Amino acid sequence: MFKLSSAARLVSAAFLVASISAPAFAAENELTVAFKRDRYSVDEEKFTFTVRRPAAQIVETAVKPDANFLPEPLLFKSWDYVDGVYSITLREGVSFSDGTPFNADTAIAALKLYDSGRSDFLQIDPESFEKSGPFSFNFRSEVGSSLVIENMTHRATSLFLTGTNRAENPIGTGPYLFENYVPNQSLTVKRNPNYWGEAPNIDKLTFRFIGDDNARLLALQNGEIDIIGEVTPQMLLSMPQDGSVILHESRPIRYVALLANLNGAAPFDIMHDYKVREAIAWSIDRETIASVLYAGRGIPAKGILPGWMFNLGDNHTDGFGYDPKKAGEMLDAAGWVMGSDGIREKDGRKMTLRLVAAYPNVSSVKPMPEMLEQMFLAVGIDIDLVEVDDSGVYSSTYLKPGEGDLFMEFASNNNTDPTYLLNNLFTTKTPWASYQLTAPGPHVDAMLEQARAAQTRDEVIEKVRAAHRAIVQDDLAAIPILLVPNFTLSRPGISVPMSEYADWVDFGQVTLSD
Amino acid sequence: MIKYLLIRLASALPTLLGMTIVAFAIVSLAPGDPIEQELRAMGIVPTIEDLNALRAKYGLDKPFIYRYFDWMSRAVQFDFGTSIATGRTVINELKLHFPATFILAISALFGTILISLALGIAAVASNQNIASFLRALTVVLVSIPSFWLALILIYIFVFYFGWARLVGDGSLRDLILPVVTLSLGSGAALGRVVYERIRAEMCEDYVRLAIAKGVSPAKILLRHITPRIIGPLATAWTNALGALLGGAVIVESIFGWPGLGQLILQAISQRDFPIIQAYLVFMGLGFFVTSLIADIIVIITDPQLRRKNSHE
Repeated sequence: MFKLSSAARLVSAAFLVASISAPAFAAENELTVAFKRDRYSVDEEKFTFTVRRPAAQIVETAVKPDANFLPEPLLFKSWDYVDGVYSITLREGVSFSDGTPFNADTAIAALKLYDSGRSDFLQIDPESFEKSGPFSFNFRSEVGSSLVIENMTHRATSLFLTGTNRAENPIGTGPYLFENYVPNQSLTVKRNPNYWGEAPNIDKLTFRFIGDDNARLLALQNGEIDIIGEVTPQMLLSMPQDGSVILHESRPIRYVALLANLNGAAPFDIMHDYKVREAIAWSIDRETIASVLYAGRGIPAKGILPGWMFNLGDNHTDGFGYDPKKAGEMLDAAGWVMGSDGIREKDGRKMTLRLVAAYPNVSSVKPMPEMLEQMFLAVGIDIDLVEVDDSGVYSSTYLKPGEGDLFMEFASNNNTDPTYLLNNLFTTKTPWASYQLTAPGPHVDAMLEQARAAQTRDEVIEKVRAAHRAIVQDDLAAIPILLVPNFTLSRPGISVPMSEYADWVDFGQVTLSD
Repeated sequence: MIKYLLIRLASALPTLLGMTIVAFAIVSLAPGDPIEQELRAMGIVPTIEDLNALRAKYGLDKPFIYRYFDWMSRAVQFDFGTSIATGRTVINELKLHFPATFILAISALFGTILISLALGIAAVASNQNIASFLRALTVVLVSIPSFWLALILIYIFVFYFGWARLVGDGSLRDLILPVVTLSLGSGAALGRVVYERIRAEMCEDYVRLAIAKGVSPAKILLRHITPRIIGPLATAWTNALGALLGGAVIVESIFGWPGLGQLILQAISQRDFPIIQAYLVFMGLGFFVTSLIADIIVIITDPQLRRKNSHE
């Protein structure tokens, strides 16, 4: 009897333990990530706008960037580029979330769908697709580019299943399934139980769109959200230092630089003189600026592309130190002599430079403009500081008409095409017409044209190195100041696998330690 | 009354037309190309042909006058085009966000009425010291910017007491702090109006007579003064609704309330012209409707105007 009752007790205890522990196993872990803006769009015609950060959990790209921004396999297992033809072998055993197999037919259909987008930048010739096996096919670039695979690392090129309503239920091969979307409020995705790859750590991800920077930070402190995916410099300045908010950072990727008006008409023609540009480069105390801004995580820059990116290396540019004496001598040599009021003059003209700060807004670089103003004043340069908090005003009112001498920018090469940034900001043939005034001239145009036309990766990188050196050293179209990491903030107990490319921060692989 | 309404509506047409021109011009002539901004932010490399095709799609390649008449011809049919940023129709965007703003504004109006009556009546009924304190409180509440008030309320009710959430999901519980933020400022401003109206009526002979007859202050206020001041007060409150609809932008942004404020702030930063133009027209219409309602209330509550309109 005793044994029976003991056994019953043991069984009861086992059930009790099981009932307590079972929910722990079954419990869903959820994460709420706050972003500033809702970029989830539903326009079928411009679906390249639709797959940014949150939705990128549902659909996947053909390849993804590796640690050096070089493409590595994802849905494409391997690829080859010979004589203008791309030969692709797909990963086998992959299905879309509705069960449709991912094979040569569905992959070609997905790429053709992308090609119909109005902001297509893969520029694949849609007539050139040729299936060579159940999981392999070939295609050509419309423009003979060898960078199509590089461009496929952009989240905007994610591959959807065709024939479905992408707006209401986007179907991809990704680790998550679409669950719920409230415009400008939230997007929720849940784990795809049949995902072909490594299962994510998080069962459910909710992306909250909170426009106000302070509100995002306060919501994190109040435990209403777990991670902030878009961090502004102001948030870093007001971030509590008591351990209640954890800063996660990538390697430096964004640059802060002064773009020089190389082609402006008077009175914005002082920067035509290389000696003046060089003097300005030597008069910036980058160490001090780095210690003040971005929670001290920025580093003095020798260029606008970090050395780790594309294996560019750090040795192809020399950079500039802080040497106001040398800067003064250079200005003297350029004919700008110190006036009695501490401002330099040349032929009766005062050395007043208009500094327009900043792209995308002055808030993202504060108080750097004021610090630079003082540093330039110390070498006899008067700064007419124009601060704008709107990229439209910056571009249309000042940059496009050339109404400034120096334009401060806080941006990055947010594309795995090595020529992307340099081609857009420093060539006369840029699609961003505003940037024609920062183009050094035909020699840089030629370097970047050759880079874009190069047929091997090594050749592309070699040309990009040369163009980069010309832009930040030999021509000084851009005067580099800082390189800054990409940041996220979280509550304690969360480890975020950071990426320099904000779209590739994999929130599904976040690890929770509490 | 119907005749009055028809005249009022007809007289509003030039105003509304002017409003559409201003709304369209402000947005169209503002610096910034939404296509370039969007593509650069996305890191997309288009060709110049791609850019031109996108501009043509949204009519941005056409002259201002052409674009205005094209837009107007569609706007009168409530077709305001498609959002450049989201791809949804503008009407759908407004439908998605307007209910939240309307609930917020109506709730804030209710709060405004309560606060204005409470402050106004309390100031009249109190002794000198309390009245001075209430006047000072009114000045503070009117002067304090809504975003600052919001942050103070967040600190007290979210962080200190933990009674509210900062970023809700649009439920009624999440409505309280935004409503209080909006109501306090406008309620305090209108509390001054309530106070002055009551004080003015208290100098009238009929009030003196009632006091002499020994009628209680509460009865004098409710039965004698209220009918005389309710018309002008209702007008002021109704006009406040328009201001609350427009003023909700910042408060919505701070509290993450999913209304028109969030929509318009995002649209401005993205130069989403169709949304901004429709929002401005929509807000103009909102002010027109609320002022029309205010006029109707005046007619209904003023016996002289009522008789005049019923005879015409």
